Amino acid sequence: MKKPSAPQELLPLTAPVFHILLALTGEERHGYGIMQDVARQTNDGLQLGPGTLYGCLKRMLAAGMVEESEERPDPALDDERRRYYRMTPLGRRVVRAEAQRLANAVTAAKARRLFDWPETEEA
Amino acid sequence: MPQAVLVRWFCRVYLLMLYAYPREFRLQFGGEMQQLFRDRCRLTAGNPGRLRWLRFALRSAADWLSTTIEERTVTLREMTPRDYGRKAAGLARTVWSAGRSHQPRGLVAEWGMTLVVFLFATTTLVQAYVIPTGSMEGTLRVGDHMLVDRVAFANPGKWGGKLLPYRDVERGDIVAFHYPEDVRQTYVKRVVGIPGDRIRLQDKQVIRNGVRLREPYTQHIDPMVEAYRDNFPAAPQWSTTPRGRDMLLNHVRDGEVVVPPGMIFALGDNRDNSEDSRYWGFVPRDYVVGKPLLVYWSYDAPTADLESWSLGHVVDVMAHFFTRTRWERTLLVPRSQQAGVDQ
Repeated sequence: MKKPSAPQELLPLTAPVFHILLALTGEERHGYGIMQDVARQTNDGLQLGPGTLYGCLKRMLAAGMVEESEERPDPALDDERRRYYRMTPLGRRVVRAEAQRLANAVTAAKARRLFDWPETEEA
Repeated sequence: MPQAVLVRWFCRVYLLMLYAYPREFRLQFGGEMQQLFRDRCRLTAGNPGRLRWLRFALRSAADWLSTTIEERTVTLREMTPRDYGRKAAGLARTVWSAGRSHQPRGLVAEWGMTLVVFLFATTTLVQAYVIPTGSMEGTLRVGDHMLVDRVAFANPGKWGGKLLPYRDVERGDIVAFHYPEDVRQTYVKRVVGIPGDRIRLQDKQVIRNGVRLREPYTQHIDPMVEAYRDNFPAAPQWSTTPRGRDMLLNHVRDGEVVVPPGMIFALGDNRDNSEDSRYWGFVPRDYVVGKPLLVYWSYDAPTADLESWSLGHVVDVMAHFFTRTRWERTLLVPRSQQAGVDQ
């Protein structure tokens, strides 16, 4: 897969990819750490299974959004060595662009007073 | 069931499920996916809620199903015709060199060989059967799952007697055979008479060629003496099957059954509760399937469940596998045993 130079070419991101990038914004994490952080971000709305998580990571690695870090044990978990992942500069630009795109969408929704309506109203 | 066992069991199943992913993907992420899966298992074990395992299983199955399909289609789409050619050539090479080179064999070849050997073995050499009824109780129990050696008594013309261990059926052998009245069913009994033998029973005791047999392998559960069952073939029961009637009409001489050429007279070890040659006649030698080799699993279940698997039985096995399996019978070898002579 050829690596796109502009982050815009990768947008819009799917929900799992976006949340994985958000999880890696602050620090590098291993698979289980990513899964836990994504669950926290979404109030348990998005539970990444192994297939989904590593399918996304495979494509993100290929696109150059994340890279593998070292393998080491997590002091909070068992002694097993785990592979850590961290965000690349491109990944940071991509997640910022996606967040900006979503922010613009939210601003547009607010401009149309979407959030002023009572939430319980059903047609 | 303890949680740790459940976690281990789930992880083992997941390890197998990983083989559905494309090879490259599995090699790159398989180990980490196992880690993540195990972590999620432990998380589930720590959570409250009665249906948590079911929810977890369904969620994992959905994740697995959707992503295996996705990864497989992606792999296929990314492959060029040249890749297909290379893959086919690689497969041919691994199969060709399997077993000859000392390099580690390709996974495909290894699994392929396993499958071929397994199919050959299960259809030609051995076959799995389950004992659904208690007619051999004392020797074989209801729920014994066993392998039958199909070579032992095979026709030597077809196999070549020198090539494989072969011998003829002998008195005292336990044999599996097609039930003569309905060849779709397989019965297991003990050979009591071979061609030329004169057989009768007196007070539950077999008299073969004029000699009273002492049969250590039999059991008697009914103190009553029944005219036909225990003093066979006296007081003929004309309600027996067509083959049983043929035996009583054409093969009884001086109050004894004479086993005709090419036939076997077989009785169950649970003598008082066994539908055997007394009721449905001789077993043609050609109907013999083989010799019970070993019991690989013995599970305490009712007869109806063993004859045909139902959803309820599957659930029952899953729930009671550890408690209802008769571990002491695992890998038990049922042996042929010669009858002694009663003085």
